[in-house]
Amino acid sequence: MTPAIETVGLTKTYGKNRGIVDLSLVVQPGEVFGFLGPNGAGKTTTIRALAGLQRPAGGVAKVLGYDCWAQAVEVHRHIGYLPGELRLFEAMTGTQHLSWFIRARGIDEPAGLADLLRRFEVVLDRPVGQLSTGNRQKLGIVLALMHEPQVLILDEPTSGLDPLMQEVFHRLVREAVEQGRTVFLSSHELDEVQRLADRVAIIREGRLVVTDTVEHLRSGAPRIIEVTLKRRVASRALAGLDGVRVIRSEGRRCTVELTGPIGPFLRVVAELDPVDLTARRADLDELFLGYYQEGQPARVG
Amino acid sequence: MSAEVARLDLWARRRALLGYCAGMGLYTLVIVALYPQFKDSTSLDNITKNAPTLSALFGAIGSLTSPSGWLDANIYENFFPLVVLLLSIGYGASAIAGANQEGTLCLVATLPTARSRILVAKVGAMLAQGVALSLTVAVVIAAGRGFQLHLPLIHVGESSTAVFLLGADFGLLTLAIGAATGNRGVALAVGSGTAAASYLVSSLAPVVAWIRPARFASLFYWAVGNDQLTRGVTWAEMVVLVLIGVIASVLAVLAFERLDLG
Repeated sequence: MTPAIETVGLTKTYGKNRGIVDLSLVVQPGEVFGFLGPNGAGKTTTIRALAGLQRPAGGVAKVLGYDCWAQAVEVHRHIGYLPGELRLFEAMTGTQHLSWFIRARGIDEPAGLADLLRRFEVVLDRPVGQLSTGNRQKLGIVLALMHEPQVLILDEPTSGLDPLMQEVFHRLVREAVEQGRTVFLSSHELDEVQRLADRVAIIREGRLVVTDTVEHLRSGAPRIIEVTLKRRVASRALAGLDGVRVIRSEGRRCTVELTGPIGPFLRVVAELDPVDLTARRADLDELFLGYYQEGQPARVG
Repeated sequence: MSAEVARLDLWARRRALLGYCAGMGLYTLVIVALYPQFKDSTSLDNITKNAPTLSALFGAIGSLTSPSGWLDANIYENFFPLVVLLLSIGYGASAIAGANQEGTLCLVATLPTARSRILVAKVGAMLAQGVALSLTVAVVIAAGRGFQLHLPLIHVGESSTAVFLLGADFGLLTLAIGAATGNRGVALAVGSGTAAASYLVSSLAPVVAWIRPARFASLFYWAVGNDQLTRGVTWAEMVVLVLIGVIASVLAVLAFERLDLG
């Protein structure tokens, strides 16, 4: 099956400045793929290369088998693109935007457009320059989705949306995937990615450090253990153990990250008169921060 | 579909274009209407006789009281090209580079339309603006026959076309620089700097000997700097003006097809 999105050794540099380096990933049709990384890591550069806006310095990016640069027109026919820093035509109203995009794409008015507009409560009758960031973003999402593209490439799609509208967006993403469409989204909202994405990639300084399912990432993740003792914690006793990193120590309570075996840790804790102990897997944001610590090896799953 | 790109840009600039046309039309009307009061003024002709270099700087060469001399000195050799250049260089800088820096170009560039077609649409939008402005001036001057301003209408039409092409050439050059660099400021600087140099060379060539050989490099010389309003525009002059525009357009397409957009 042709992947919905595929990059092989994708590299983009800006003069002497790094953009992205040797980035390889595959996104299958019907998948929600989360792309994570802090500002400047290379997320937007990758997304622009996928949208056929930037010419790779090396490697290749493909959408539905079409080369994103050499066959950009075909790629554009099949994608819905939402830029990270959305700029619309300030003097045009929402209605004018919609009419113009329908004419410019050479399509009939999409059947689902009215439903999209209703769900997002898009303001249509005022010039975009007078709209709030959230209202512009809603219009941008509608413009990216209205022609029912097979692949959605969305850069920080929920940025500026209130929680209700974020929920509307999440439902739309799930519906799109149920219809067999593919969603590639970058986000700072780790919780959002955790809820939506089947797989995630984490990018650091232009290079992929991990690509895996959210579940697999979490199952192999360190445990976060919070211990409450009868008396004041001697965190040094815990910090000396293999695979234990003390995250926080306040009074009788201590939080640690455990990557090693739990037995030696429990034996030491047992001697410290524990009152309470809770353990959980690290969530995505803790994982994300972990991958941003130096020395984490790249892993592709 | 690419026609929508041109329509969008023309819609966005409709007020500015109306303003340019109304302003230029009004100015032309005033100049035309003033002609009867100056046509017998010998003191006016003395200005160009006594201070030819200074007069040349303002685009006034030879008689100022003949119909073509009056229009050349007040419209065709300075103000009209200046306004056409403002319009075309301004649009040339904003159409690709300005829209890219503003962030709106990516909305257009992710339509299922080849970049070459997008650029051709923008060239079309530029030419349409130039036609509107040049036509306004030509029509008002044609109406000037009622103010004793008698000169062949064919020469008015040809000279107005030449000014339109002059503006288009510098506008397209600016567009090409913008498409190559993605930088509106650089495009504006190169476009307007080249136009200013071209104007100076053409204006001063008749009175400054060492500049004279360089006049062939000036587009102003090919459009308005060689007495075109009196004798009409030759085919050779038209071909030069059209050819430069075609070359600039091709360069703009090639540059835009390689430009990284953001």
